[in-house]
Amino acid sequence: MPKTDNKKKNIKEKVVDLKKVSAIIQKNFIVMTRDRIRLLPLLLFPIFMILVLGFTTGNSPKHIPAAIVSFDNSAMAENIQQQIYDSQTFSVRYRVSTEDEAKRLLDSGKISVIIEIPPNLGEDIDNNIPAQIIIIVDESDSSISATSNQALGAIINNAATSITIQKLEGYQQSVSAAASALGNFAGNQQNQYGIIAQETSDAGSYLDSAQSFNKQYSNELTLSLPSSSPILIAANSTNNYDTYNNNLTNVSSPNIIYSESPVATQIKGQIAITQKFGASIAVANGKVHAAQVIATQANKNQQVLQQNYDSQVRKPLITIQTFTESSAQNIVRPLSVEDKAAYGSSGLRAIDFLIPSLIAMTIFQGAVMGMGRAVAGEKRDGSLTRVFLTPTSNTTIISGTLLFYVLFELLRASFLIIFSVIVFNIKIQGSLFLIALILILYITISTTIGMIISSVVKTEQQFQAIAMLISLPTMFLSGVFFPLQAMPKIMQSIANFLPITYAANALRGVMVKALPLQMISYPLIILLIFLVICITCVVTVFKRDIE
Amino acid sequence: MVNNIIEIKNLTKKFGNFTAVDNIKLSIREGEIFGFLGPNGAGKTTTISMLTTLIKPTSGTATIANHDLSEESVDIRSIIGVVPQSFSLFSELTAQENLTYIGRLYNMDAKEIKSRSEYLLKQMALFEHKERISGVFSGGMKQRLSLAASLMSNPKILFMDEPTTGLDPQSRIAIRELTEQLNKQGMTIIYTTHDMEEAEKICDRIVIMDKGRIIADGTAEELKHKIMSGHMIEVKLESEPKELSSELKKLPFVTAVEHSGQLINITVKRKEGVFFALSEFFLKKGIQVEEIKYREPSLEEVFVTLTKKDLRD
Repeated sequence: MPKTDNKKKNIKEKVVDLKKVSAIIQKNFIVMTRDRIRLLPLLLFPIFMILVLGFTTGNSPKHIPAAIVSFDNSAMAENIQQQIYDSQTFSVRYRVSTEDEAKRLLDSGKISVIIEIPPNLGEDIDNNIPAQIIIIVDESDSSISATSNQALGAIINNAATSITIQKLEGYQQSVSAAASALGNFAGNQQNQYGIIAQETSDAGSYLDSAQSFNKQYSNELTLSLPSSSPILIAANSTNNYDTYNNNLTNVSSPNIIYSESPVATQIKGQIAITQKFGASIAVANGKVHAAQVIATQANKNQQVLQQNYDSQVRKPLITIQTFTESSAQNIVRPLSVEDKAAYGSSGLRAIDFLIPSLIAMTIFQGAVMGMGRAVAGEKRDGSLTRVFLTPTSNTTIISGTLLFYVLFELLRASFLIIFSVIVFNIKIQGSLFLIALILILYITISTTIGMIISSVVKTEQQFQAIAMLISLPTMFLSGVFFPLQAMPKIMQSIANFLPITYAANALRGVMVKALPLQMISYPLIILLIFLVICITCVVTVFKRDIE
Repeated sequence: MVNNIIEIKNLTKKFGNFTAVDNIKLSIREGEIFGFLGPNGAGKTTTISMLTTLIKPTSGTATIANHDLSEESVDIRSIIGVVPQSFSLFSELTAQENLTYIGRLYNMDAKEIKSRSEYLLKQMALFEHKERISGVFSGGMKQRLSLAASLMSNPKILFMDEPTTGLDPQSRIAIRELTEQLNKQGMTIIYTTHDMEEAEKICDRIVIMDKGRIIADGTAEELKHKIMSGHMIEVKLESEPKELSSELKKLPFVTAVEHSGQLINITVKRKEGVFFALSEFFLKKGIQVEEIKYREPSLEEVFVTLTKKDLRD
């Protein structure tokens, strides 16, 4: 027989024969229905779990007997005490004045909790000194301890919040007053500038009129002189004072000709007057010029001020106003916990969130253990050997066996969901198709894991041991018994490697929150990766070798 | 010339450091009942498991009806039938359901399954029990059902791994008769047993395995002669005699004497004239001889002589 290469050989061992797959499924179905004793715990165990958890979760202890020791009579202390009285969690049986007295009550079992309000509570809070309320709990009942702490925590939190709100409201008022003062001041400033600008402008126009008066006066003076008067020539030659002045100086030279004549004397007097008058015109002109410059600058300044006022005063003012208008409560508690239902309006309970995890958990147990019987058990009693002796490929045996258990677990999951719907009135919010999709994926992974284990072990006892190793973490990290968030980091990271974490997330998302496909795509993708790995593993480790 | 239906070539199987089957070579002819003998742990079942494709050989190969063991395992499984050592059927299923399931795994159609299972159930005297859950069957019934399951596909070769172990004599005889009947119909049968008498009765040829090796191979007659250097004569005396061994050994044709109670086993070099000489010897001694006869060695003697031990793990 010639040697062929390893890749090509024995292709028939890899072909899935669908007829045989259906024969295997039917065979397993008959075996399963015949083995009623095995069927019973598979259904009763999860029902028991659902019942126990359904009736216990969400029912934290109420009316825990408590005593209050208060060393403070402030309104604040009274307020907190009132809230404790009003709380459903505590039933205040005693108000005592010393801690020792309260402890005796605790020791005698008459109360389970002591709540101690320290002296000067109100005063400290008013002075911004942190204050603490003490809680002493009978630790023998952990649920009481947890609930008391939680309930008191909520009360204190409420009180702390209202104190903060009150203080904040005080700040708001001061800020508001400051804002209006600032606004007024800015307004006044603006007005002042306006007045200055107006006055400057007025000054300019006043000086203008002074100038024109001077000119008019000068004209009149000119008209009163004879037309040949050198003064007139000089005056007519220019409107400019400097040239005028020079011409006037030239005019003085006939001084020599008309000296001592009465006319000359008169002219001299006129010249002197005119000179003085010209000088006053020049000064007036200079002042007008300066007044105009000042007025222009004042206008510009006013425009800049107008622009800056918007950005530097008005906007901050609006911000301050918005702050004072918004409720202090929203600022103090931008996030809050509501007791009301978060999803839908139906008022979901803890059990609604628990059922998906519970189903995921029981399915895993059932699928893994079922495989123990299907492979390890059939190995033991030799019936698997008998199947191996027929011309049936490994892949056909794997497919047939897996498919049957996938169908069976799917039925079981549906049964449990229906049971939960009937008994606990669980409402399925999301798409049934998505639920089925998640279940099929997850069940296939679970059964495949069972098959991998049962393929690598030699006996059913070994199977039990290894299956326990995987199903116990799955059970405890499923979140059914303990919240995962309450576990140490290492446990939480182990949970990241368990398919149940993703299956329960996706299931919860669809069942409780009615999430659409794209919102659960992350867990679904992780589950798909699990599936590919598991199928690859099972095809590799599932061998005929009966050693 | 008869064809060899199975050719085993240097087949070896190791489990870790332990060599269960050590480089065996063997040919099995078409149409024979071939016996695998050997003490527990000799490697018989391992060899059968390799030939039936349940486990892979460490090295070497074999062809079964011209199909290569490692390359055409599915083809091999479709022409062989195997009666495993233990029951190995689904005890939750009825006799009929078991046969139907096995039939479906051979891709037989419903009609074929019905006629074949009916025929086999009748042949195995299980027809009236066909609707009963097989888990409650007696050992003999289970083994007959197992045989029926192995015959569903009408195989060319039937492997029977210690099929009669733990059965009552009636069931044992029934299985043996069925085996011979099947052989007469042309089926090659590979029969594993450590019941020497059974092997001697039904097997055409026998191999004896020990510690993973084939230590003898041939017909029962051939095997017996392999260990015998002479002939054995059994003498039964009327009363327990005194020590005679040394005197008997003085006779020229005697090679060995074994003495127990009234029986004396004497190994002789030749047959001729031995009866007369021995009668004369005892007559002279005045010892009354009740019976004197030739005795053939049993296969068990061959077996023990070859494998040298009585007790195995």
